[in-house]
Amino acid sequence: MEVSQNSDYNDRKFALPVDSEHKATEFRLFSVATPHMRAFHLSWISFFACFVSTFAAPPLIPIIRDNLDLTATDIGNAGIAAVSGSVFARVAMGTACDLFGPRLASSSLILLTAPAVFLSSIANSPAAFLMVRFFTGFSLSTFVSTQFWMSSMFSPGVVGTANGLSGGWGNLGGGATQLIMPLVYSLIHSQIGSTKFTAWRIAFFIPAIFQTLSAFAIFFLGQDMPDGNYVRLEKSGEKHKDNFSQVFYHAITNYRGWILALTYGYCFGVELTIDNIIAQYFYDRFNVNLHTAGIIAASFGLANLFSRPGGGILSDVVAKRFGMRGRLWTLWVVQMIGGLLCLLLGKINTLTASIAVMLVFSVFVQAACGLTFGVVPFVSRRSLGVISGMTGGGGNVGAVLTQVIFFRGSRYSTEEGITLMGVMIMCCTIPILFIYFPQWGGLFCGPKKGSTEQDYYLSEWNKAEKEQGFHKMSLKFADNSRTERGNKGVPVTVTSYNETPPTSV
Amino acid sequence: MILHFKVYKSTTSSTMEVPNGFLVISLLLCFATTGHGVTFTSLQRTLVVTASPTEGQVLKAGDANITVTWGFNRTFPSGTDADYRTVKVKLCYAPISQKDRSWRKTVDEMQKDKTCQHKIVARPYSASNNTFTSTILRDIPSGTYFVRAYAFNGNDEEVGFGQNTNGKLETNLFVIQAITGRHASLDIASICFSAFSVVALAGFFYMEKSKGKSQK
Repeated sequence: MEVSQNSDYNDRKFALPVDSEHKATEFRLFSVATPHMRAFHLSWISFFACFVSTFAAPPLIPIIRDNLDLTATDIGNAGIAAVSGSVFARVAMGTACDLFGPRLASSSLILLTAPAVFLSSIANSPAAFLMVRFFTGFSLSTFVSTQFWMSSMFSPGVVGTANGLSGGWGNLGGGATQLIMPLVYSLIHSQIGSTKFTAWRIAFFIPAIFQTLSAFAIFFLGQDMPDGNYVRLEKSGEKHKDNFSQVFYHAITNYRGWILALTYGYCFGVELTIDNIIAQYFYDRFNVNLHTAGIIAASFGLANLFSRPGGGILSDVVAKRFGMRGRLWTLWVVQMIGGLLCLLLGKINTLTASIAVMLVFSVFVQAACGLTFGVVPFVSRRSLGVISGMTGGGGNVGAVLTQVIFFRGSRYSTEEGITLMGVMIMCCTIPILFIYFPQWGGLFCGPKKGSTEQDYYLSEWNKAEKEQGFHKMSLKFADNSRTERGNKGVPVTVTSYNETPPTSV
Repeated sequence: MILHFKVYKSTTSSTMEVPNGFLVISLLLCFATTGHGVTFTSLQRTLVVTASPTEGQVLKAGDANITVTWGFNRTFPSGTDADYRTVKVKLCYAPISQKDRSWRKTVDEMQKDKTCQHKIVARPYSASNNTFTSTILRDIPSGTYFVRAYAFNGNDEEVGFGQNTNGKLETNLFVIQAITGRHASLDIASICFSAFSVVALAGFFYMEKSKGKSQK
């Protein structure tokens, strides 16, 4: 992915070519160069660890439900609790990223939720089980810090790719855990010889330790921004410490953030719902054994290896030619098709066809997630974290809502629920048609004449703040985001801002 | 069905008891060969089963003993058990322990039935009183149980049963309390690691603050 703009700013001390904000303009997967690629690897690995911990219980439920004497209602409630904890945590995480930086925000959250995973080992009742799943679920908000970090490290031309890969490979944890936990459990049960009810408890130490180690790695090896950590940048005056209420206000008054929160609820939320119900669906409807049902469930999550990143890459590819309008159209089309496939999935009666449709459905719905986060980095510069948090939180709200409406109790059979969920996906994707950026346009309308990226991003700062020069970073971003006009856009002359070139540190 | 007719032909001059027994067996074999699974309602209560726990008694898994006895029910004609080869005695969930737990559901087709998931003992069949005592295994979950024994024929299909409770599964139910699976060492490790995470976080904040102070 070569975007050879601003090569004058190619600072020799960075391993990758960078733009004026020192964000990388290329994405090299197999490099661990500081700070860009290292940040990428740290973020996807830690997010993967959190996903493994959050979904560590489902594959071991047959053992846990006997040990803790759980009913089907208890299990369902714990599943909903696991994804609902993250709703507000994601918004909080977004705010924390804006104020303290992704490195501290994510390592703090991971260390604060690690005790919930350790304490899962001593859970003794349905209530305790619900509590540990609820608090462990908070760790899913590392998604927000992942996306924020990538948006801080990578330039608009590759941000979709970076976001898609880090989000997708993190989500992989949800599928991998269906294979890892039973393996760890059987090793402990047969090799070490612990009884069933002890073996699962010991097994939980593995994801817990993995999670803790990833937090250490982020703290010691990571860096908030290409130029350094927030603490140092704020001390030297390069970055001003922002005001919480202003950051929050500019996020919640931006209608695009709310629309994306809703639509993300119907791609990512659907993904989480399927993670929770699909094994049971295949087991009950097609009478496969539990082991096979688990493998099918895992394959849904494992598609994230390429499908979500594919969405992100597609977003960047489309943006080169068609800019932001291309990103929005692609998102709408892919998510609509995902909804259609979901509707179809509930109607299919044979096992092979059902698995095939499920796999294609997984690719589309996960690609839609990747495409969403190709748009999110552009909604706001000042409140990037809170917007990312709102969108991410919206994803979890979608999961909770969908499970409560369609997959609880016996009002709908599971196949009816899946079909209705498909209909709901399509309905909730329609609002994308209403997203409009004055400088780039929307799905049906072109850009407003004379409107620039500067106008849009600088509108987040008031006069007093501008006088103090707090808006400098938004200026640079506005410049760099000009690529969102696509190739068809009329080239605009670069206005100089009478500003000193970025200081090298 | 061919088997059925053959039996009819040869029993015209025999005594009453033998043809009845053959009829039952052949019908069951018919069901088996035509591919229908054995259903519970097709089985007769041809075994008498008793268990040591009294009604409502609480037993601890891994600790308490349970003694089961089983034998042929003499009220049935004497040839009924002609093809019984093995007996499996199992711990079965009482209805209250099946409530809201579809993985313990009672289904008439024996292959899909999940009522009796824990085997106590399997023995070759013998009509006279058999007993067996063992400690309740440590992987038995908490719940209310009764004991049921199934008799199997040479093809490993259920051909008869007996249980220590009545037909409605209301009497002689006993409670088993599972082990927690927790150990003191696990508890301590769990709490220590958790405390370590929180302390490490405090350490991170301290380091970050002092880095900030030392910069300028």
